[in-house]
Amino acid sequence: MSQPYVLQLAAQRTQWLSARDVLIAGNIANANTPGYQATDLQPFSAVLDSAEVSMASTNPAHMTPGGDGFAEARVVESDTPETTLSGNSVDIENEMIKLGDVNREYTMATNIKRVVHQMIMSVLK
Amino acid sequence: MPDPLQATLRIAGSGLEAQSVRLRVISENIANAQSTGDTPGADPYTRQTISFDSALDRSLGAPLVRVKTIGRDDAPYKVEHDPGNPAADAAGFVKMPNVDVLTELADMREANRTYEANLQVAKQSAELLGQTVNLLKDA
Repeated sequence: MSQPYVLQLAAQRTQWLSARDVLIAGNIANANTPGYQATDLQPFSAVLDSAEVSMASTNPAHMTPGGDGFAEARVVESDTPETTLSGNSVDIENEMIKLGDVNREYTMATNIKRVVHQMIMSVLK
Repeated sequence: MPDPLQATLRIAGSGLEAQSVRLRVISENIANAQSTGDTPGADPYTRQTISFDSALDRSLGAPLVRVKTIGRDDAPYKVEHDPGNPAADAAGFVKMPNVDVLTELADMREANRTYEANLQVAKQSAELLGQTVNLLKDA
């Protein structure tokens, strides 16, 4: 049995969020590094839009094309309002806001996973 | 590639380390703001500077930060007239360190702020890892 779509989506979402968290952490750690360009991840909606529709496999002999239908998110340079004299473009306040966003959205995704799981368990128990 | 949230912890750790070295350099500068040489006409304490460098960690695929150099500030020394000082030259002038305490304090505030930001990142990724582990709790 394949995973419910919601769980797949929530897993993909947490993957995307933790990848974004790495980039934010890199930006904050390098907040005082000369010549450092801040980076961010492509929005999740853009990743979903570029996802291919995968074919359903109804027989074990069916081959599925590579990947689970979701595309990889690309790392892009974030457009920050200003670059300091040393060539650093990290805006630390903006990064902290992004950090808060990631926290909230990650909590949301894990809670969705838990609720879906509870729904499945309520049928089984 | 390791778990991204653990990579986040490592990155924040590198930031904390870099900023604490910076705080050390600042405290050395402030502590020595009045340190003259000990022979007549000798050079006093020279202000230290610090610069950072971003290093891509191949196993994490993320930019860690590290201390690039701890250098010496080549700004001129301040000269004061104090004939009684052991470091005074024949004319009674003493070379004082090129440390400006106000600049150091401003730098300290900035280091503090960046340290706190990195700490926040570390706290958050630990919290998110905890949330994921807690999914197993009520399964």
